[in-house]
Amino acid sequence: MYGRASPLLFGNLMKKTVQGNFHQIKAPLLFLLPNILIFVIFIIIPAIQGLRMSLTEWGVFTEPTFIGLANFKELFQDKVFWRTFSNTLVFSFFTVALMMLYSLLLALLLNKNALRGEKIFRSLFYIPSLLSMITVGIAWRFILGDEMGIVNYVLRSFGGEGIHWLTNGNLAMASVILVSVWAGAGYYMVILIGGLQAIPLELYEAATIDGASPARTFRSITLPLLKSTLLVVLVLATISSFKAYELIFVMTKGGPGYATKLIVQQVYQVAFMEDRMGYASAMSILLMILIGLVTIVQFRISGKDQDYE
Amino acid sequence: MKKIAVFLTILLLATSTLFAAGTKEEGTKETTLSVMWFNDANESDVFMKTIDDYLKANPHVKVDLQVVAYSEYDQKLKMMISGGNPPDVARISTNTLSVVVDSLEPIDGYVDDIEKVKQEFLPSMVAFAMNKDNKLVAYPTEATANGMIVNKTAFDNAGIDLDAVSKTWTWSEWEKIVSNVIAANPKMKYGLAVDFTPHRFSTIMYQFNGHFLNADQSAMEFNNPGTINTLNWFKHVHDSGLVPKSVWLGSENPAELFQAGLVAGHIGGSWNINTYNKNVKDFEWKVVNMPKAAINSSVPGGKFVASFKGSANKVEAQKLMAAFSDNAHNEAYCLDTFNLSSRADATIDYPSNSKDFDVFLSELKVTPAFTANEWKNTNLSKVTTYIKEQIVEVLLGNVTPEQAVANVDAKGNTYFK
Amino acid sequence: MNKPTLHAKLHYVLLILLAFSTLFPVLWVLLSSFKPQSELFRIPLTLIPENWTIENYVSSIQQGNFARYFSNTVFVAVVSTLLTVVINVMAGYALAKYIFPGRNLIFTLMIATLMIPLQVIMIPIFLQLKRLGMLNSLWGIIIPPAATPTGIFLARQYLVTLPDSLIEAARIDGAKEFYIFRKIIWQMSQPIVATIAIFSFMWRWNDFLWPLIVITDNKKQTIQQALANFVGQLQINWSELLAMTTIAIIPVILVFLAFQRFFFSGITAGSVKG
Repeated sequence: MYGRASPLLFGNLMKKTVQGNFHQIKAPLLFLLPNILIFVIFIIIPAIQGLRMSLTEWGVFTEPTFIGLANFKELFQDKVFWRTFSNTLVFSFFTVALMMLYSLLLALLLNKNALRGEKIFRSLFYIPSLLSMITVGIAWRFILGDEMGIVNYVLRSFGGEGIHWLTNGNLAMASVILVSVWAGAGYYMVILIGGLQAIPLELYEAATIDGASPARTFRSITLPLLKSTLLVVLVLATISSFKAYELIFVMTKGGPGYATKLIVQQVYQVAFMEDRMGYASAMSILLMILIGLVTIVQFRISGKDQDYE
Repeated sequence: MKKIAVFLTILLLATSTLFAAGTKEEGTKETTLSVMWFNDANESDVFMKTIDDYLKANPHVKVDLQVVAYSEYDQKLKMMISGGNPPDVARISTNTLSVVVDSLEPIDGYVDDIEKVKQEFLPSMVAFAMNKDNKLVAYPTEATANGMIVNKTAFDNAGIDLDAVSKTWTWSEWEKIVSNVIAANPKMKYGLAVDFTPHRFSTIMYQFNGHFLNADQSAMEFNNPGTINTLNWFKHVHDSGLVPKSVWLGSENPAELFQAGLVAGHIGGSWNINTYNKNVKDFEWKVVNMPKAAINSSVPGGKFVASFKGSANKVEAQKLMAAFSDNAHNEAYCLDTFNLSSRADATIDYPSNSKDFDVFLSELKVTPAFTANEWKNTNLSKVTTYIKEQIVEVLLGNVTPEQAVANVDAKGNTYFK
Repeated sequence: MNKPTLHAKLHYVLLILLAFSTLFPVLWVLLSSFKPQSELFRIPLTLIPENWTIENYVSSIQQGNFARYFSNTVFVAVVSTLLTVVINVMAGYALAKYIFPGRNLIFTLMIATLMIPLQVIMIPIFLQLKRLGMLNSLWGIIIPPAATPTGIFLARQYLVTLPDSLIEAARIDGAKEFYIFRKIIWQMSQPIVATIAIFSFMWRWNDFLWPLIVITDNKKQTIQQALANFVGQLQINWSELLAMTTIAIIPVILVFLAFQRFFFSGITAGSVKG
C-alpha cells in the first residue's frame, strides 16, 4: 500500500495508483485556490509574457519587435548555446546520480533510531543545505583553489604536485558536481529519512524472523517501499540541477573557457550583459522543454513497474 | 507548543519594529531622494557622511539610501528604469554608464554654465560622461587607473633596484628581470597576475597598440595586429609559467596571490592601494610604471553620480549631486574612500601612498584618449564577457588568436548594425 | 552481542569520516571569520587563526543597519513559512484525496512552475508587482514565493498515504470538508508540516532573488542582500563577509534543531497507525 503512493502526471497511471476517491469539486478547488492565485499572478502570467518575448527582438530600453521564430533559428546555430546545453546534461546526470546514492547512503546510516547521537549527525549532515549557494561557493574556493586552496597547499607541502581542481576543464566539471552533491545531499537525506521511517517496523521484524540477509531485506522491503520517495528526490534533484547557476558561477565563473558554463548562466549573460531579452527567453524555453521532457520520462519509467505489494 | 510561543514572540517583535518604521512623519514640501549605491569598501557610509552638512542645511531634503550588490547592480537598475521608477540619484561605474547612458538626465538644464562644470573635471572622466547628443549626464566622482603593483621586498632580495629598472622598462626586459626575482625568492612562484577582466587585459592590449573598435567606433576591429600580438604574448607568459594559469582559467583572485607573496606583481588598479594597505603585512610593496610594449598606457575608469529622466525629483536630485561634486565635498569623499579624485583642481593630502597615487596619475597622462571612448561604448559592453571567454579559449589552446579575434568581431558586429 | 558492536563501530567510523568531510568547509568559514583580514591570504595557510579577533563581527554588525536586516529577514521567513505550510498542506490534501476535473492539469502546472528559471522572467515579475503595488514592501517577498511547488509535492506525497477510512468515517458523522481538514488532516500532518516548515524557513532565509526584485529601500533589505553587498566591483570585503555569513547560518540551524525531533518521530508515529 505504501509503495503505491507515487504522484503521476498522467491520468491513466494516476487512476491505478491513487487511493483518494472523494468526488468533489468545490472543496478541493477552495483548498487549491491560494496556491493557484499566487502561481497565476506571480509566475504564470509573467512566464507567458516571457514566452511572447521569445518571438521578439527586445532590449530592456527598447520596444519589442516581433520577429517570429528567428530567435529559435539562430539558437540552432549557436555553438556556445549547444556547448552549455551538453554541459548541462553532463552536470545534471552525474549530480543527480551521485546525489541520490550519497543521500540514500546517509539516510540508511541515520535511520536506526537507536544510534547514539543520531540526531546530532542528522543535523551535521544537513548543515551544508542550510547555506546559501554563494557561501558554499566561497567556502569551496578556499578548499580547491589552485594556489590558495588548502588541498593543494597540503599536497605541495608533502612534496606533491597541486591538482588543478578548477583550472582543468574536466576536473572543474567534476569539482562543481561534487560540491553540488555536498551542498544538496543533506536536504534529500531528510526527505529520504522521512520515507524510510514510514516503512512499518513489523515488516523488518518479519524479515528477521524469516532469516533474510540485510542485503535481501534492503532489496525486497526497503527499496520497493522507498520507491515513491526516491521518485520525489529524483524529480526535485533533476529540476534543481538543470537550474543550477549561482554555485558554479562563484566557483568557476563557468570556466575554464566554457568547461562548466551551464544553460542558465548563458541565459543570464545573454539577457543582462548582451541585452537580448528575446533571445534569452527563447533559450529558457528550450531549457524548460528539456526539463519537462526529462521529468515526464522519469515519471513514466518509475510508473511502469508499480505492481509490487 | 513552547516553540510556537517562542516563534510568535519573535514574530511580534519583528512586526512591531516594522510598524515603528512604517509610521513616517509627513512634513510639508519634503522631498525624499532615493539614492542607489554600491560598495567596494565603505563608500555608502562615506557618501552619507560627506553630504551630512548639505542635508543639515537643507532640512526639507531627505535621503533614502539603498545599497545594492555590485553583481546585481546593472540588472536592478535596468529593472527599475524599464519599470518606470528609477532612483533619483545613483552611483554609477563606467561599465554601468555604458549600459544606462540613454536613460540619464542631462545636467546642462540645471546649471548656469555647463562648460565651466566640464572644465572642473579631468577630461577623460568628462569624456565618459557624455551621451550621444554630446551632453554631460553624470558628475564624475572618483577616478581610477589600471596599473602595476609590485612586491618591492622581493625585488630587493634579488638585488634589483626597482626604481631604476622600472623607469622605462619594456615587457621583454621585464621578463628577464622578473625571472631573476622569482629565482631569488623561494616562496615566489610567478612574475605577474592580471585581473580576470577584459578591462585589465586591455591595459596590455593598448600598450601593444591594439584596440577593440575602429577609429570612428562604428564597428568592431578586435582583429588588428596589436591585439593579436597581445594575445600571443599573453599566451606565451601563461605557457612559460610567468603568469599563474589559475587566475584566468580557475578564476582565482590575483589580489590574494599577491598578498600571499606568490607573485612579484599584480596588474590591478588604484583601488588596490586601499586593500593592500590593510592586508599586506609581510612585505613592502609599491606602484611602478608598467613596462611598455609599443607605447605606455593605462586604462582610465571611475565612478559617477547621475540622475534619471524618469525621476520625479530631478531638481533636488541635481542640487544634491552638484553639492556632492563640488571641490570640498569631492576631496573629502575621495580622501575617506582612498581614491583618486576626478576633479582637475583636487589637491588631496593622502595620509600615505601619495607617491603611489602619483604613479597612477602619470600613467593616466600618457594613456591615449580613445581608450575612454572604447570603454564607454554601449555596444562593446555587450560583448566584453564573450571577449573574456575567447581570450581564455586562446590560453587553453582551443582557438588561435586569429580565430578568436575573428569570432569576437563577428559576434560584436551584430550589435553595431 | 559481539558482532553488532563491531558493526556499530564501523558505522560510527564511517559517519565520523563523512561528517568531517562534510563540515570541513563550514569549519573553515567559521574559523576564518575570526582571522584579521591580513591573515586570510597568507602562506603558510593556517586553519586556526593566529591572532583571534572579533573585530570582523563588530564591524559587520555596525555596518549599515544590521539589526534591521536581521529583523526583516526573521519577519519574512516566519510569516512566509506560516503561510506556506498552511496553503501547501491544503493544496497537497486536495491533490491527494479528491478526484475532480482538471486535477492532473493543475498538478502538472504546479510542478511546471518549478521548471521556470525565475531569473529569466524577472522583468515581467517586476512589472506585475508594480501593478499590484507590492514593490518595496515586505509582503512582496512574503506572498509570491509562499506557494512552493516542492512543498505541495511533498505534502501530497505524504497525505496520499493516510488511510481514506478516517475521512470516510468523519464524513459519515456529517463533518464538513474544511472541518475534516482542520480537525483530522491537519492533526495527522504534523511531520510533513515540520518538514515543509524547515525547508520553507531555509528557502526564505537564503532567498536572494525575490528581495532583489522587490526591495528598493535599505530599511527593508534582508540579510542575504546585505551579504552580497560585501562583494564589490573591484574588491571583496572578506572579513566582514565571512563574519556575517557565520551569523546568518545560526538562525537556520536553530530552526532545524527545534523542529527535527518533531518531524522524524512524527513520521514514525503516523506510519504505525496506517
